Amino acid sequence: MKLARSTAVILVMPWVATFAAFWLFPILYSIFLGFTDYELLRPTYDWVGLDNFRALFADQDFLSAIKNTAIFVVGTIPVTTALALLMALLVNKQFPGRDFFRASFFIPSITSMVVVALIFTTLYSRGGYVALLAEMAGVATPANGFLNDSRTALYSIMAMDIWMSSGYYMLIFLAGLKSIPVELYESAEINGAGALRQFWSITLPLLRPTALFIIVINTIKSFQVFVEILVMTKGKFDTSTMVYHIYETGLTTQFRFGYASAAAYILFCIIALFSIVQFILMRRRESW
Amino acid sequence: MVTPSRVGKTILRYGALVIVLVITAAPLVWMIRVALLPPGASTAISDLLTMNFAIEAFRSVISSESIGRAFFNSALVGLVVTVANVLFCFSVGYALARRNTLPVRLIFWSVVGVLMIPAYITIIPLYVLMVESGLYDSYWALTLPWLVSPIGIFLVKQYLESIPTSMEEAARVDGASDWRIMFTVVMPLCKPALSVLAIQAFFTNWNSFLFPFILTSREELRTLPVALALLQGHQAIDWQRLMAGSTIAVLPVLILFLFLQRHIVEGITAGAVKQ
Repeated sequence: MKLARSTAVILVMPWVATFAAFWLFPILYSIFLGFTDYELLRPTYDWVGLDNFRALFADQDFLSAIKNTAIFVVGTIPVTTALALLMALLVNKQFPGRDFFRASFFIPSITSMVVVALIFTTLYSRGGYVALLAEMAGVATPANGFLNDSRTALYSIMAMDIWMSSGYYMLIFLAGLKSIPVELYESAEINGAGALRQFWSITLPLLRPTALFIIVINTIKSFQVFVEILVMTKGKFDTSTMVYHIYETGLTTQFRFGYASAAAYILFCIIALFSIVQFILMRRRESW
Repeated sequence: MVTPSRVGKTILRYGALVIVLVITAAPLVWMIRVALLPPGASTAISDLLTMNFAIEAFRSVISSESIGRAFFNSALVGLVVTVANVLFCFSVGYALARRNTLPVRLIFWSVVGVLMIPAYITIIPLYVLMVESGLYDSYWALTLPWLVSPIGIFLVKQYLESIPTSMEEAARVDGASDWRIMFTVVMPLCKPALSVLAIQAFFTNWNSFLFPFILTSREELRTLPVALALLQGHQAIDWQRLMAGSTIAVLPVLILFLFLQRHIVEGITAGAVKQ
């Protein structure tokens, strides 16, 4: 069954047009912009070579945005992945109420990020419920609330992100668990392997591709952390991230399109690098 | 056979489940509870635990110009984008699945490539593009770039490749045209994949914040997430109204989720298992 050429041309048109206008063009255009000093309120702009890139790596705000993004990525992904696996294991086998628990664990991840950020802003505020719980546990709390203190703000946002996304990755782990043949467990049982042994020798190794897939998509997502920063702290208290920095320099006050595009391009290269490394790991799943 | 160790395990399992459940649900329950407080009530535990319910906050938020309009915008944009995605992702996915020539394969690679590209890096050029083309601050800016999604195309293509083409061939022998076959034979067969992609398109769009936020500025064009985020920026923050607005933003998604759970779960896991 092969479609006629004339039909196929019409059928793919919506994507070809969207791809050209809203993906290919912006990506190429942002590379170009990165080498110019284009700003919204300036009538002309010049080619400035690598000036933007040089300026960025001397820009303390950009460097701290890189640092905060790195903390965010490195701090959330292992915890989210581990919690997601734990939750998946808890609701994997059939038991009364399983579907209810599955659905409840998943619901935070379909909630809008803006809504989640608003809820946690109130929970983290001075005298809010998180402070209350911390006091009950005997932990010192920041005087102005968790989001108004540079020692706690970023970590509070990270904790919220873990809360929000674990249920989503739980679902992907559940799909991975389903694909493990039951016979493996049966034969392990016959050979006298206990539950813990089965987990280490069967479940965990066979879940590696799933875990890696989760880490890849979570990495791409986490490097772009932005909405929660804008809603919760506006980048204050040492919480600015790379996308927030792009937004702040490129789309507020001065509208420095060239400068922000250069920053976006650096972010693009970092994400691409990470994705490539992770894909190489994924290809070598047997030896990994 | 019920043994003590078995009972212990069950208690342990449910104990862990309940702990996770409380942590997962508490913030959302809190949101709804605060939204239902009477005006002027405090959010102290003692107030939250009373049977003191009122819908004033909801009433005031719904009747307020900005949130009512934002709800309408979100619904309209969500509907348009969802319908367009079903139609266009089906059309492109069908072509990719049923024609295997070099140009078509290249187009497929563009789809996979975009799936891997972090969308947020395009904010500056997309903003400039919208301003230069005069589409900035219009319903076009809210819809045009998202009428067809790479993940949707991918889903349809994979699905179509997994079903046999014998029915299409039979229809062809009977003299049906390409278009007729596509809409009357293939589209009904594709319903499972299309419903998954419709839900995904609607959810993504309904919750989307960054692009609506940067590509519009007029108050009449705000979608719910944008309106809520900006409401919070205002001087005196009234938490009850803010939480009522948030509840309104979450409710449609929650209701759809309860009815369409199976499709949603399929949509998320489909992409993962194929890897």
